[in-house]
Amino acid sequence: MTQNTAPALREGRRRFCLTLLGAPLAGASLLPARPAIGQERRYTIAFANLTEEPGVTLEGTGFTGGEIRSGFALAARKLPVELVFYDNRRDGKRAQANAEDAIARKVDLYVLYCQDPDANAAIAARLKAAGIPILAVNHPAPGAPLYTVDNLAAGRIAGEALGQFAARSWRGQPTVAVIVGPVEARADRVPERVQGVVEGLRATLSGVRPATLDTQGNAARVGALLGKYLAAHTGAKVLVAATDDATALAAKSALEQAGRASDAAIASHGVDRSIHGGINDKKEIDPNNRGSIVIGSVAFYMDRYGYDVLPLALRMLRGEPVPPRTATRHLFITAANVFVEYPPYDMN
Amino acid sequence: MRIRSVLGASAVLLLTSASLAFAQTDCKTLVPPSPWGPNDQTGATNRITPAVTKAAAAEIQEGKVVVMSYPLVDGVPLFGSRFTKTILTATSLAPGGAYGENQLTYMEDTWLSQSHVGTHLDGMGHIGRKDCYYNQIAMGKFINQNNMTKLGLEHLKSFATRGVVIDMVKVFQAAGKLKANAACRKPCLDGGTLITTADLQAGLRMYNVTLREGDIVVIHTGWGDLFEQFPKQNAVYNSAAPGIGKDAAKWLVSQKVVAVGTDTWVVEVIPSEDPKEAFPVHNILLTDNGIHIIENVRTDLIAAEAAATNRATFFFSMTVPKAVGLTGNFVAIEGIR
Repeated sequence: MTQNTAPALREGRRRFCLTLLGAPLAGASLLPARPAIGQERRYTIAFANLTEEPGVTLEGTGFTGGEIRSGFALAARKLPVELVFYDNRRDGKRAQANAEDAIARKVDLYVLYCQDPDANAAIAARLKAAGIPILAVNHPAPGAPLYTVDNLAAGRIAGEALGQFAARSWRGQPTVAVIVGPVEARADRVPERVQGVVEGLRATLSGVRPATLDTQGNAARVGALLGKYLAAHTGAKVLVAATDDATALAAKSALEQAGRASDAAIASHGVDRSIHGGINDKKEIDPNNRGSIVIGSVAFYMDRYGYDVLPLALRMLRGEPVPPRTATRHLFITAANVFVEYPPYDMN
Repeated sequence: MRIRSVLGASAVLLLTSASLAFAQTDCKTLVPPSPWGPNDQTGATNRITPAVTKAAAAEIQEGKVVVMSYPLVDGVPLFGSRFTKTILTATSLAPGGAYGENQLTYMEDTWLSQSHVGTHLDGMGHIGRKDCYYNQIAMGKFINQNNMTKLGLEHLKSFATRGVVIDMVKVFQAAGKLKANAACRKPCLDGGTLITTADLQAGLRMYNVTLREGDIVVIHTGWGDLFEQFPKQNAVYNSAAPGIGKDAAKWLVSQKVVAVGTDTWVVEVIPSEDPKEAFPVHNILLTDNGIHIIENVRTDLIAAEAAATNRATFFFSMTVPKAVGLTGNFVAIEGIR
């Protein structure tokens, strides 16, 4: 099933009708300047970000809104696109005001990233009335194609990686598993990630039933929670699924402090800069750090949303069909592939 | 007998492992051959013939020499883990240290550094694809602990040719698309700004220049202003760069240039157009086509000279030491007008 939006087709019909009916009288100034033959028209696309507040991380990962915005700007460099940026500030009213501004600017397409379902519905209705196609990011808007993380798939990847590690390294040894992080954070759909980890572990390591430790979003709580858990499981190998990279690093520290690092393996979610980093950054996953107990992290690529979303937007603008839902292609990043997926370019 | 067999098998295994570590790749599938033949280790300086140099000499009209390299000094921005350290030996200045009745004294330096620092040239051995380098050379077979035994700087010919400065700041200003960086004191293109083929062509049209075979292209982006502010803006300078993308690099290849230089640490745009590609323009220019890259070129003075005289061409004078087996070296460049 695909959703077909055809503004380009509509524009073509409009040009044709105007040419037939009134071009000799109206003159070319009635129409936007035509691109030269072989030169594609440039489109104005608005991106209304969830929030660009410094330090605020999104979707239960370590990525900020600033990184998402930057990814859009970088991706647009090679595309026939002018970007207009808005900051929804996690506020439905602000999001609606931003959409009104974009309508007044007559943007060609609106990319909406807003967590408020009521606001999303209102914005979708207003944009539809204005004839502006809409593409939603991570949170649906009625009638709009959705680009989204796939928390369930990401969790499965992490769970399977842990299970396979245990089967390979600890065969026959008692093994326990624990999922650490803001496991109940429904707004960020972390429970879906947790469910995925459970399914992934079950598929690869039958008999292990993971416990959950809820940090309620405070990575500083990892030490106490995990320390208590480790004390109760002294004779076992420990698989740790961290819901995000900050939690993974806190878990690593807790395991080291408990003297259990050699008994443990951690899989994380996100692959933010603490995990991949620049050439000289201290980064957890690095070909030169193959001994880390953080065996990998599932990439969420939020810093590269623009590279996925803008091509989708262009397909819509060209009248091509796009699927109603497109999910991020999550991948488990380890020391073996981190430089392929995230070649370090920041040479500081 | 059995021990001998085991030892023999071990030796074979060891040799096999060693050959696996190097030159695992069929380089003919990864790198094109040199247009100058299978034994070529020189690359694009093959294009600088006596006729090319003679034609370039016509650019010397006023005898004016324009500096195009930055001072080589501790504290300039350095890529990654590179470092520089100079140590002065001045022992003969100590009382009683002078030689002979004429009281001769001397001083000299120890210069500790990687070769790719300051204004520097990337040689053919700098960048490869897997273990395959320029002209399909499987470099794993040609390196030792100290240097390369193929593709060293000693194989390069002269760089005495015509230089052409392309002023991207003026191009972007004229197009109304200049997005500057707040740390630049003078107009500059911001880090990450993609320079396209059309931009290069617009810059050439600005001075009514057509590239010709054997030219060296120098692109002024203004980013070098951050280099000049060392060490204050080193982190900003290294964090990104304006530069050419893959299409522009391929167009420059089609123009049969000898080298491309800019006032950035990298020549190409950083972050790259495709975030999953590492320095692809380096591969296109160096690995695939033997075209040198010159980084941290001081371009502001020659760009200003071009703007003042409406002439963007000059005689390109650059010294590259015959450093045997080196992948690159710092250079001194002057534009002579």
